Amino acid sequence: MFWQIILRSLISSNTWQTTLEFAGLLVLPAIGGVISERSGVVNIAMEGMMLAGAFASVMITLAMHNLGLNPFLCVLVGTLAAILAGGLMALIHAVVSINFKADQIVSGIAINIIALGLTSYLVYVITPAGQGVPSLPGNLRLPTPNFGPLASIPWIGPVLFQQNLVFYLAVLILIGSQLLLFRTNLGLRIRAVGEHPQAADTAGINVRLLRYMCVLTSGLLSGLAGAYLALGVAGIFNPGMTNGRGYIALAAMIFGKYTPLGAAIGCLIFALGDGLGIPLQDLSNSPNIANLLNALPYILTLIALVGLVGRTTPPAADGIPYDPASE
Amino acid sequence: MAELLAPPEETSERRPPVASGLRMGLRALGASLVRPLVAVIFAFVAGAIVILITWPDKTVDPFTNVIHAYTTLFTGSYGSLYSLSNTLVEVIPLTLASLSVAISFRTGLFNIGAAGQLAAGGTVADMIGLTHQSWPGWLLVPTMIVAGTAAGAIIGGIAGFLKAWRGAHEVVTTIMLNWIVFWVSDYIINSNPFVTPFGTPETKVLPINAQLPSLAALSNQWFHTHFNTFLYTVDVSLFFVIVAVIVYWLLIARTTFGYELRVVGQNQQAAKYAGIPIKRTIFLVMIISGAFSGLAGALNLMGQPGYNLAAQAYSQLPTGFDAIAVALLGNTTTIGVVISSLFLGGLRSGSTDMQAVAHVDPNLVLVIEALLLFFITAEFIPIIRRYLPAWMKSNRGRAPVVPARPAQAMAELAGGGVDGAGEAQNEVVITDLEKEQ
Repeated sequence: MFWQIILRSLISSNTWQTTLEFAGLLVLPAIGGVISERSGVVNIAMEGMMLAGAFASVMITLAMHNLGLNPFLCVLVGTLAAILAGGLMALIHAVVSINFKADQIVSGIAINIIALGLTSYLVYVITPAGQGVPSLPGNLRLPTPNFGPLASIPWIGPVLFQQNLVFYLAVLILIGSQLLLFRTNLGLRIRAVGEHPQAADTAGINVRLLRYMCVLTSGLLSGLAGAYLALGVAGIFNPGMTNGRGYIALAAMIFGKYTPLGAAIGCLIFALGDGLGIPLQDLSNSPNIANLLNALPYILTLIALVGLVGRTTPPAADGIPYDPASE
Repeated sequence: MAELLAPPEETSERRPPVASGLRMGLRALGASLVRPLVAVIFAFVAGAIVILITWPDKTVDPFTNVIHAYTTLFTGSYGSLYSLSNTLVEVIPLTLASLSVAISFRTGLFNIGAAGQLAAGGTVADMIGLTHQSWPGWLLVPTMIVAGTAAGAIIGGIAGFLKAWRGAHEVVTTIMLNWIVFWVSDYIINSNPFVTPFGTPETKVLPINAQLPSLAALSNQWFHTHFNTFLYTVDVSLFFVIVAVIVYWLLIARTTFGYELRVVGQNQQAAKYAGIPIKRTIFLVMIISGAFSGLAGALNLMGQPGYNLAAQAYSQLPTGFDAIAVALLGNTTTIGVVISSLFLGGLRSGSTDMQAVAHVDPNLVLVIEALLLFFITAEFIPIIRRYLPAWMKSNRGRAPVVPARPAQAMAELAGGGVDGAGEAQNEVVITDLEKEQ
């Protein structure tokens, strides 16, 4: 009975559609984290950057909509606003940890807290007393590109070809970032800066500039994920709506040994938890069993981590502010 | 942009002339006080600016309102016995969870599993309490506390074991364990001997012999005072926290094990050459870390009105993550953790008053908390100093020797005298060891 339910959930296309949807959401901040940490800046602030992005996307989209603009334009500007908001959070992290040489974990936690505090505070200030942000009408969501006949292939169609626009963008970013990090000069430089900044500096690489770029990139990607969450998945902004997903992306990043593709595999496994949740609840007679089954992906991860992945080594200079004077 | 990116650091550091021990001491004290004080002032000023910008009702003088908001924030946290009681209710689990995070930080482990360990402690204590209702209080209460603590310790221990012997990164394992505990706990809360018969997703209320008495009730009974036990809800868990704080201090500053864990945290190479069993230390630290959080979960369930668990409450509970902020703010020293959890717990409990009286959203407190973290960790003083006009740079100026590791400030204000001695000794050993290599 127990295994039957799991099996039936695992072959349902709904499960995999939701799984891929959430994997796309997680993979953006995870890639951002990989890029930032590869350059030697610890980034645990993806949670806050996503939340800022989600807030900005909904607020700007609604504001544009109130001006009476074309819905697609509203969503587009909202998404750009989300990217900028994530970038702004990343800029704070970069200034504080690269210029002010702050402890990068402290700074990351502070960003997560300030994003939660400021967005909740602004929701309270902006919206009429206690009502919260209204949910977005269907035409203000991220659009689904039209793949024509591909989308109607049974099982594969809904899973692969009925996702929102940013999902496909995320897939491109995933491939691009993997190539960038491991197949280009720039990627080599980023990794050099993260492993041995003194040597990289001697070789004429601008360590701080490169670190700035990488931290900012992580913010832009996390901000985009915020738009994905608010405009694509949820269709509303609630304070604290990221609910730990930034930390799960962090886990996926470490699980994937600081590579974009590895992180993506981690994201898929974690997203399976979201994917399985609803079908399990529908299929099992007692909805309570679903609670137990929801823990399964996390147990699987632990087993996979222990059995297959083993020890992960972060970049050698990860978390150490670069000081040209030392050494 | 380029100027922003690469300001050359001032590296020459003029040593002050030989001064008497007392003057040196005073100067060190002053230097360590500057950072936290400046940070607190900056954070509150920045918070005030946020209120000023966003204040909707322009007819009321906004400055008056800022003052009003901050006054109610502080009277709401420490202004009366009632608000003090509410603050302590916040502070009790926060302190325990912060000790949990702090001890793992000391060992160089980033335990973000306090939330899950706390949930495990609360859930197991609840299970014991509801299934052994017939036991007398003197037996049931200690059993629940021990079981809850043990549950937290086991969850922490799993992460520690995987880290020590399998090399699995503790950030990943603790996050995974958090979610496993949250889901399993939701399952338990919704399943049969525990769930309420009314169809709501929460557990039955613990029997009275499984509850911890409030301090007000004890005082009424022993000293014939007349406190209203519905108002003053802070319970005897406070004593457990005091004991836990002392245990933490003794462990870190006064035992060989504490010394070893600090060496492991500062320099694993040194620890290895000194023959310190690194794996066993990591394992034990995670067990202790989990135990502190498990204790927090059990006490919070048994001490606070409600005396039951609701489904999905633990995954929403901010305590586990607040604890990280508190531990970092207190730089993981004993007194640093106590002061910063009193401070942040106070802000949290005062913020409800601030909302009710001054109509400022309580989330402003989060903003202040984050700004405080930024200002404490960022080495902003040398940078500000560089842009000061020449006449403001006094010749003593270089003095505020910024601690090498950030986030040290608040702790040095607080814990410098306590853990400091042990740390100095520590440094010596490590440098000696490095010479040997």
